[in-house]
Parts: sequence; C-alpha cells; structure tokens
Amino acid sequence: MSGALFISGARLMDPATGRETAGDLRAAGGVIEEIGPGLTAQDGDTVIEAQGAVLCPALIDIGARASEPGAAGIENLDTTIRAAAAAGVGTLILSSSSGTGLTRPEDLEWISYRGLQSPVRLLGAACTHTPQSEMAEIGLMLRAGAMLVSDGGEIVSDTRFLRNLLSYASAFDAWVGLTAEEIHLSAGTVAHESAMAVRLGLTTRPGISQRLGVERLAALAELTGARILFERLTTADGLDALKTARKRGLELAASAPLTHLVFNEVDIGGLDPAYRLDPPLRGEADRLALLGAINDGLIDIIVSDHTPVALEAKANPFSDAAPGSASLEALIPALCMLDADGQLPLMAGLKALTSNPADLLCLPQGRLYEGAPADLVLFDPAAPNVYGKDGLESPAPSAFAGRRLQGRVLMSVVDGAIVYARPGYAE
Amino acid sequence: MGQGDHGYTFPHRGLIAASALNRVDLELIFDSARAHLSRNRTEDKKHPSLKGLTVINLFFEASTRTLASFEIAAKRLGADVVNFSAGNASLKKGESLADTANTLAAMQPDLLVVRHHSPGAAEFFQRTTGISTINAGDGANEHPTQALLDLFTLTEHLGDIGGRRIAIIGDILHSRVARSNVALLSLMNADIRLCGPASLLPADADRWGASVFHSVEAAIEGCDAVMVLRVQRERMQSGLIPSAREYAALYGVDHTRLSLANEGCIVMHPGPMNRGIEITSALADDEAVSVILDQVEAGVAVRMAVLELLAERGQQETVL
Repeated sequence: MSGALFISGARLMDPATGRETAGDLRAAGGVIEEIGPGLTAQDGDTVIEAQGAVLCPALIDIGARASEPGAAGIENLDTTIRAAAAAGVGTLILSSSSGTGLTRPEDLEWISYRGLQSPVRLLGAACTHTPQSEMAEIGLMLRAGAMLVSDGGEIVSDTRFLRNLLSYASAFDAWVGLTAEEIHLSAGTVAHESAMAVRLGLTTRPGISQRLGVERLAALAELTGARILFERLTTADGLDALKTARKRGLELAASAPLTHLVFNEVDIGGLDPAYRLDPPLRGEADRLALLGAINDGLIDIIVSDHTPVALEAKANPFSDAAPGSASLEALIPALCMLDADGQLPLMAGLKALTSNPADLLCLPQGRLYEGAPADLVLFDPAAPNVYGKDGLESPAPSAFAGRRLQGRVLMSVVDGAIVYARPGYAE
Repeated sequence: MGQGDHGYTFPHRGLIAASALNRVDLELIFDSARAHLSRNRTEDKKHPSLKGLTVINLFFEASTRTLASFEIAAKRLGADVVNFSAGNASLKKGESLADTANTLAAMQPDLLVVRHHSPGAAEFFQRTTGISTINAGDGANEHPTQALLDLFTLTEHLGDIGGRRIAIIGDILHSRVARSNVALLSLMNADIRLCGPASLLPADADRWGASVFHSVEAAIEGCDAVMVLRVQRERMQSGLIPSAREYAALYGVDHTRLSLANEGCIVMHPGPMNRGIEITSALADDEAVSVILDQVEAGVAVRMAVLELLAERGQQETVL
C-alpha cells in the first residue's frame, strides 16, 4: 500500500474552481501530491491510463440511508458501503433516519467503529429527536462525530420544541437539516397535487406545503440564529420561498434528491411502486426549477437519498408501497445524462456533490489541489448505461431500474487507495 | 442597627427587588448580618428585636430551605411566625390573590414573606395590603434575599468583588436567582459571566451587563467564583435540553473544569443540588472550594438583617 497512484491522461475537473484541464495526477501518502499536465510516473507507481476519462474529487453524499443500525433488511451496511464505493462516493454521511435511527451518541460511536473497516469514509448525521419525541443528545452526538443534526425526514410539528432545538443546536454551530413541509398538508399523502395525480385518485399535497415549510423554518432561523439546511427541496414553490429567505442574510443551505432531477410525476402514471418516493415526484416545471437552482447555486447540495426498501415493502399498490429508491449507483450516470441532454452542466452537478458539501461541513475532501486528500473518482462520461443491466452492488429496488442513463464509474479512490475498480479496469 | 454609623436611614418599605438596592443599603444589611452571623454561632441565639411583631410566611410554591431560613430568622428575632405553604388547603380555595392578601392583612401582621410563581406577586401583596413585604421569589423575576446572601458570602471570602470575575452557570432563562444576582453583582462592578445551553439563556442576556458563554470551559476561565444553578428535570421533559447525561457532560462543573478558574476560586450553589448533573459530588463536598453550606448559614443572618431593618422602618412610620 506504500506505492503511489499515478493517473495519466485524465480530464481533470475541479468543481471548487470550475477548472477543467487535461492532465495527470499523482497521489501518495493519502494526498494528492502532484496535479497538472506532463507529469511522469515514478518507479513503483501504480499507473492508470485514464484515456480521457473524467477525474474529479470523490463524491460526498450527505443524505444516504442505510438499513442499519437494527435489522439489516435487504441491504446491510457493508453492501451500502460497497454501493457507495462503486458509485464514486468517497465520503458517505448516513442519514439520521438510517435503520432504527441515529438517535444516541452510541449510534454515532457505532458508525465510527464500522468506519474503521470501511473502504469509504463513513460518517453520520445525528437525529434531532428521540423516538419519544424528546430532544436528542445533540451535543454528545456531535462530540461523537456527527457531521450535522437532522430530522431525518420526520417533520417536527411542535414549533416551540423546534425553536428550543434550534436555539440549543446554535451553540454548537451545527447545521440542522430539516424537512420543509407543512405537516397538515403533507401527512398521509403519496403524490404531488396535480391534475394527473388527482385523476389517478391519489392523496396529494400541494407545492405550497413546501413553501410554508421553508417560510416557517426561515423565520425560526431568524429568531434563533441557527444554521438550517432545507433537506430535499423539490418544488418551485419551495425554491421561491428559499430565494426570498436567502435575501435576509440568514445561514441557510438546501439539498435536492437525485431522483427529482431525473423524474417527474409523469413517471408515476403507470402507478409503478418503484416511483413511490418521499417527497413525491413533482411536476416538470418543478424539476426544471430544481435543475436551474442547482446550476445557479440556490440549491447547494445534491443527495442520493439512497433508501434501501425491502422487496416485500415495494410489492404493494403504489399508495401502499414503502417510499424510497436505491440511488447511490445512479449518481454519476444521472449527472452525465443530464449534462449530455443539456439539462445541467456536469461541473454544476459535481459541485453539488463535492466541494459544496465539503464547504458546508468543513471537510478537507471534495477538491483537487496538491495536498488535498486523495479521494477521487474516475468515470467515462460518454459510456451508454442502462441502469442495472451490468449488475449493481445494491440489491434494493430503484426508481432508476432499467432507465437509460449515461456514463460509468471506472475507479474510486479514497485516501489514495483504490476502493473500487470496474471489472477489468486497473488490475 | 447600623443607621447611626452611616447617617442614612434604610429607605425601603419592603424588599421586592435586588435591583432597587444601592450600595449603602448593602452595607447596612451586611453590617447587621455580620453581627447576626456571629451571634448565631453562640449558644444564646436570641436577639428579640422583633418581639411582639407577627411575620407571615406565605409560600405558594413548595420550599423547604428558604421557608425554614425565614422562619428561623424571624424566630431568633423574637417574632411570632405563621407559615402558609403550598400544601396548605387555605391557599387553594380558589379565592383571588387580592382576597387572600386582604384577609391576611386583616389579621394585622407586621411583615409578609411571599413566594409565588408569578412575577410581581410580592409587589402585588405589598401594594394591596400596605404591609412590608419581602419577596422570597416571584416566578423567574427576583429572589433578592438569595442574591444578598450570595453577595454576603462572596464578600466574606473574596473581600471587595469589584472587578472580580464571577460566572453564573445553568438555566439562566428560568432563574430568579440569576436575575437578582446580576443586579447586585452589577452594582458591585463585578465582571459577570452567564453560561448555559442556548435554549436556557435569554435571547438578550448580553444586554444584562454580562458576557454570555455557551462553553462552560470558556466561562470558567479566570473566574474568582462560580455560581452553579440547579437544572430542573422539567426542562428536559419540556424539550429545552436533551438529558441529564448530556447536561452533565457539557455544562456540569467538576474539578477539571474548575481548574481553569483563578487560584482560590469558590464554588456556590443556591440548592437544592442535583449531584452528578450540574455539579459533581466531589466538588460540592470539597471544603477547600465549596462554600455552599456557608451560603445556607449566611442566609439566616442576612434574612435576620433584612427583617430587622424593615421592622425598624415600620416602627418609625408608626411613630411619625
């Protein structure tokens, strides 16, 4: 493992600076030692001929769910980690709603422990509240390594409690990830409110539910001084509210799930439970607004929102199926497809999965410069890819299954070590 | 007592708020308290300056130590003392507070000591009845005799506390002890620090004339005294803070954290303590630094001084 890694002839993309150049990269001792055109490999280096493939910082996914802690279900944590490595994710921050929930300091310690054996950097988000709806031990969980605090998709309806929580968390300078929905409009619904969903007879929530949610949380951010991350924004209404709130100089950030950049409500037309997601798929105007928001920086972060749902939980009619999709391994192919279709420049998509989450959480990863951690992903952005056709690490049901995407991860590097190589590659 | 020395007559009819006191008032109270403190340590503790007077202790909120302290103080001064407390049926019969006040006033007591959950309750009693009233705690507003006994204890151990750094750590938001202490410590020009979880600190605490800290280590650094406040379990149940375990880990005061303070720093607590939560047992019982029992002892002496000054003032009014 002492040997250095030399990658030659790559298309180097550094989302932090927006620079794209042809060149080489040498990684040694876990860091990027040299980067630029015309480098020469040294004796003993493992040499990879990139042949024009894209080399960029490994992805940082701050919103993937694992089935553990608790019963592993369809996909145990090792499998999720393997899927992350295959997806080019170098830093995997488990959602606080993973398994039975990351609600105690012990759960974060468990992640650290599992991280010792993990090829990718494994971290976690602390849940805001306990299963008994009391404030969770946020301070101790942050101390135990939690990267942020999050409601894990469960809306905190009690505004007084939320105020206390935000106030309490503000003393730790932690980002608090919250779900922006008006619970009385969103609870029990399975689809976005539209002519189509109503005609299908589905229970629906209007886009303004998210707008009300954003406005409520922004007001509380103003009152408490807390840093709020709006998790999984998906509507044009929500984005409008975010744009207004941002003007008030608050510390706000927002994330969007990958599925909602690719799919819209038309995909649920066949009532295929694979498209049962939470939040539900929105209208095409919402999807385009989301892409625009990522491109112009209104949305900081893309998350995989990877959710391994058991096959039997999906084996139900649309409304009764469990929401969620395995999405980690669709990250790069979806970004490449959106780029090829002229919907979202690859650099903007990568920025939302590398330097932006790194900046938000003060991580040293996510950038290409000499001295930076050697967390890298090499991918062919032009390779045709029908999702799942060539096999996947994650066995969980996916909304992307059988969909025509583009691009293929060739190799993932974490801390200077190859943690994934496409079969036949880099051997 | 003491008035002659200062050429100043204690001007207050009652003791409603620590913030109403000036430095000469404090000297009067403390001169007298010092005398009571030493007499209280002798065999004959009686000093019947309140002989013939009736003191009613009216405690609408449960209390053991403050009630006992006031009762002992008044009895040592020879007063007749009647206690009404929270468990007492007569306080729960649904009459208005004004009716309760007027009924008691009709029995011609000379001094009232009132504890109530509503801010302004002691002042309400004094205004309604015209009887000298001591505020023994009105909601989260004031607890002036606690601040007096705290300042007395501080002065006994540290001398002049002007410029001395004093941290108050805990649930500042709900604490009348903190509010009254800030009033008196400001008057004495102490360097006051307030520290606690952000959800237990008032949003405008930085405008109280104190510096605000969320890190207990930073707050204790360079302190000459640390006042630890009681953290109530109901704060966890009502979602203001997570758990006793987290509170102890992040805000609990122990020897390690105290080592950041100045040499000779003293540790105070108004009681009752949650050992192992806001303060470790080892620290609370460490006679080299803990002055918690001194505070309790000072409490009786300071309350005797206050009762006596108010009674003298009342008698002068009668004469006039």
